[in-house]
Amino acid sequence: MLGRVVSARCASAICYTSQALEVAAPPLTPLIERLVDALGADAVLWEPEDLAVYSFDAFSEDCLPAVAVLPRNARDVSAIVRIARDCGQPIVARGAGTGLCGGAVPVAGGVVVSFARMNRMLELDVPNRRAKAQPGVVNLELSKTAQPFELFFGPDPSSQKTSTLGGNVATNAGGPHALSYGSMINHVLGLEFVDDAGEVVRVSQDDAGYDLTAALVGSEGTLGIVTAIDLRLLRVPRALRVFIAAFGDVETASAAVSAIIASGTVPTALEIMDRTIVRAIESHYHAGFPLDVGAVLLVEIAGEPEDMVAGEAEIETIVRGHGALSWRSAADAAEREALWASRKGAAGALGRIAPNYYIQDATVPRTRLPQAVQRVEEIAKAHRLQVGNVFHAGDGNLHPLLLFDRRERRQVEAVVSAGTEILTACIALGGTISGEHGIGYEKRETLPYVFSANDLAAMGRVRDVFDVRRSFNPDKIFPSSASCAEVLPSRTA
Amino acid sequence: MSVAGPRRKRVPASDEERARAQLAIGDITPRSVYAPESPEALAELLRACDRDGRAVVFFGGGTLQGVGHAPSRYDVAISLANVAQVIAYEFSDLTIAVEAGLRARDFDATLAAKGQFVPLDAPLPERSTVGGILASGWLGPRRAAYGRPRDFIIGASLVLADGTIAKAGGMVVKNSTGYDLSRLYVGSLGTLGALVRANFKTLPLPQARRVALARLPDGTFRRAVAHVAALETEPTVALAIAGFLDEIEGRDGSEGRLFAMFEGTPATVERATRELRSALGAAGVPETTILDEAGTRVYQQILDAYVSRLGNRTATYRSVGLPSDVVARAEALARLARVHELEVETILDLRCGDVIARVSDKIATQFAARVVEFDDALANVLSNVRILTAPEALRNRLAMWGSSTVALAKMRELKAHFDPRNTLAPGRFVGKI
Ligand SMILES: Cc1cc2nc3c(=O)[nH]c(=O)nc-3n(C[C@H](O)[C@H](O)[C@H](O)COP(=O)(O)OP(=O)(O)OC[C@H]3O[C@@H](n4cnc5c(N)ncnc54)[C@H](O)[C@@H]3O)c2cc1C
Repeated sequence: MLGRVVSARCASAICYTSQALEVAAPPLTPLIERLVDALGADAVLWEPEDLAVYSFDAFSEDCLPAVAVLPRNARDVSAIVRIARDCGQPIVARGAGTGLCGGAVPVAGGVVVSFARMNRMLELDVPNRRAKAQPGVVNLELSKTAQPFELFFGPDPSSQKTSTLGGNVATNAGGPHALSYGSMINHVLGLEFVDDAGEVVRVSQDDAGYDLTAALVGSEGTLGIVTAIDLRLLRVPRALRVFIAAFGDVETASAAVSAIIASGTVPTALEIMDRTIVRAIESHYHAGFPLDVGAVLLVEIAGEPEDMVAGEAEIETIVRGHGALSWRSAADAAEREALWASRKGAAGALGRIAPNYYIQDATVPRTRLPQAVQRVEEIAKAHRLQVGNVFHAGDGNLHPLLLFDRRERRQVEAVVSAGTEILTACIALGGTISGEHGIGYEKRETLPYVFSANDLAAMGRVRDVFDVRRSFNPDKIFPSSASCAEVLPSRTA
Repeated sequence: MSVAGPRRKRVPASDEERARAQLAIGDITPRSVYAPESPEALAELLRACDRDGRAVVFFGGGTLQGVGHAPSRYDVAISLANVAQVIAYEFSDLTIAVEAGLRARDFDATLAAKGQFVPLDAPLPERSTVGGILASGWLGPRRAAYGRPRDFIIGASLVLADGTIAKAGGMVVKNSTGYDLSRLYVGSLGTLGALVRANFKTLPLPQARRVALARLPDGTFRRAVAHVAALETEPTVALAIAGFLDEIEGRDGSEGRLFAMFEGTPATVERATRELRSALGAAGVPETTILDEAGTRVYQQILDAYVSRLGNRTATYRSVGLPSDVVARAEALARLARVHELEVETILDLRCGDVIARVSDKIATQFAARVVEFDDALANVLSNVRILTAPEALRNRLAMWGSSTVALAKMRELKAHFDPRNTLAPGRFVGKI
């Protein structure tokens, strides 16, 4: 996991430490006793020092649950849900805790269900290019398992070495290759989940009837606890190339990306990194990115061998026509992998230049990228904050990283305001407030900027069907009170 | 009994009789037909129907009304023919927003003018509409290569049963902002509300398309299928067809045909078709015809054949499953059909795993009795089957959605929350929802 990342919001305001203190005092609560009876003592944790690791994700921290449980199978999960329900406790599913919006943080206490022990691959069906995995399987493991058979898994979040498939399903995770392969929603064929009554339900996108699989993907643990996932695998492309183009600044690089998309060429990935990010990763990885330039564009194309030369020529022409200072091709597979590894390690490398950072996630239509990037810069400047940009440009998915020191009160406040201003700016450009990280706790009060009360009420109906008691991940996604939705401005698409 | 109101057009009386007859489902003819001219007018109309307890069925082009049971109640037909604008085509962003009543052919043409497409694979595109394709959960053969219609929808406007207009998703290609209800409406057959506007991401049109069509002499079928599966460059579409001779040109005689379509750069499709031809040659297939323009026409004929029906003496099934057992399922289906003395024609989708099977009898009355028995027995043979089209009179006697009852309780609850008064197409959906 990355270094210290702190809640940009006021940490004390969102936590219930008093609850944690109560739990710490013996004797055991009926909740814990029943969980121990059902799952065995080694699967249940309740001492504060054991619970600390379940009190945070990559967005926020310091919310202790009452108890953490480590199920081994769906039956265990089902028992947990029944017991928690009887005891009136909320349930928060947890993968690797790499989430960037507070999704796995137990802000209302209760039971954290960790999938650390449900981390087995269940099936690999090579002829049909499918896999079945438990939710605790780490994203990259899946591609590694499939690799000997020339198959791979499309969604590759930069956190793929740690984040879990369960977390990926819940956030509808994307990654650099979402540009051509899509996000999780395009790769989940079916799910097994435990519903609010503790029943195990299996759904597939091939079932007759409503597409419940689609409803569960991206629901951030608010509709059910996922216990197994059927996934689509892709055939490894027969040919693949990676290129690096250098630009004077991020706006120019963004304009080149807009032009590539508008030309009707869709590469497999188009990633931009600005000077701040490139310097940080170069000092860490030495992958060979050009250092003294304003921005670097990483381009990947894939397909049939005979299409590579023309494919490169087409993109190079556009990129040079849009002010690229240089263009070069990665020499071989080893260099390609090194470039990708350092790109995906960008956030971690930032630890070298600032004690803390706050990563934003927003999407704009791809033609609006240059304006969006410019607005981010203006906003950061107005708040006297340093910003790094490393993002999935081809999808219009921005990730400005606001650098700060959490010990400086002014900076923390500036980060919070700047973050919201960036979201508002992206909405004004026709975009939305999350491309891949989700809403979680972080953006729940911002959601009404995008959706009207009617829109949210329609989503609420789905939530009522699956979890009318709000026991699954309460205080996430939806704004804290319905009245918020009426008061705040809404955008009409 | 018309509902008055601005911009809510009731079909003129002279045409009404004809329209009502055309919009009959099963043995029910709707009492009124409306074609509102805006989503707002549709919302107002729906609110009134919901309040007054009148049951509503939405109509696009009517091409996929064959899907599902006949409604248990049906008072009002609402056509989306007048809600059919292209709202915004942001071609430089590769996104488009259209209204539901837009004809598939017009949708395709709009996109093609800018060198783009969305792989809906619509049957009968002259008549079928974007909204109808989405609502019916239509799935075409190109989904193995590009994804399902659901994978291309990025946002929608929905009119709920009570007339509330809600939007979902947005106009961006990547989105994790709350629940995306547009995906839930795909395949919901108008039972949760009207999908009045859909936003899509688009793809650049492939530079070239080429079709290979081969006659499969008896005994070559399995080997040909195996060779196709082993090709280095996969066809975008690979279908093995037996029958449908009236619908699909290209070959006569009773032997099977293999249809393979490649999309990509000219160089790739050129090489790939050559490789396919020699692979088929190795499998004992004597000749393979290569088609360019004509290939597109044949492809459309095949898509149309999925829903075509010969009078009241055919029913077409879709068996969904893994590509690896597509041949086995097709054989099981054919065997059962023969046991029940039905003729059977099949399309095997080698990449997606679908088996499309049309069963028929020369005599309609005989057909009815036989297909009902066949349908009963089918539940024991194949698990995930549904009917694409069947004679109206048989709709409530056949398992239109197959025997599967996966998560039916949850589905009923969804219906109850979105349409508590059961106004929308009651009885048509899975489990007679
Ligand atoms: C350095 C870094 C880079 C990142 N890069 C990307 C990127 O490129 N693309 C991207 O999309 N994200 C990225 N992320 C964000 C994060 O990794 C993803 O959101 C990921 O999907 C979270 O997975 P996780 O296992 O850590 O889940 P957690 O953080 O543990 O949980 C995330 C959400 O999933 C829910 N959940 C977890 N398991 C289940 C389950 N079994 N059933 C139901 N709900 C469940 C949780 O309740 C929570 O709401 C990045 C994060 C970091 C720190």
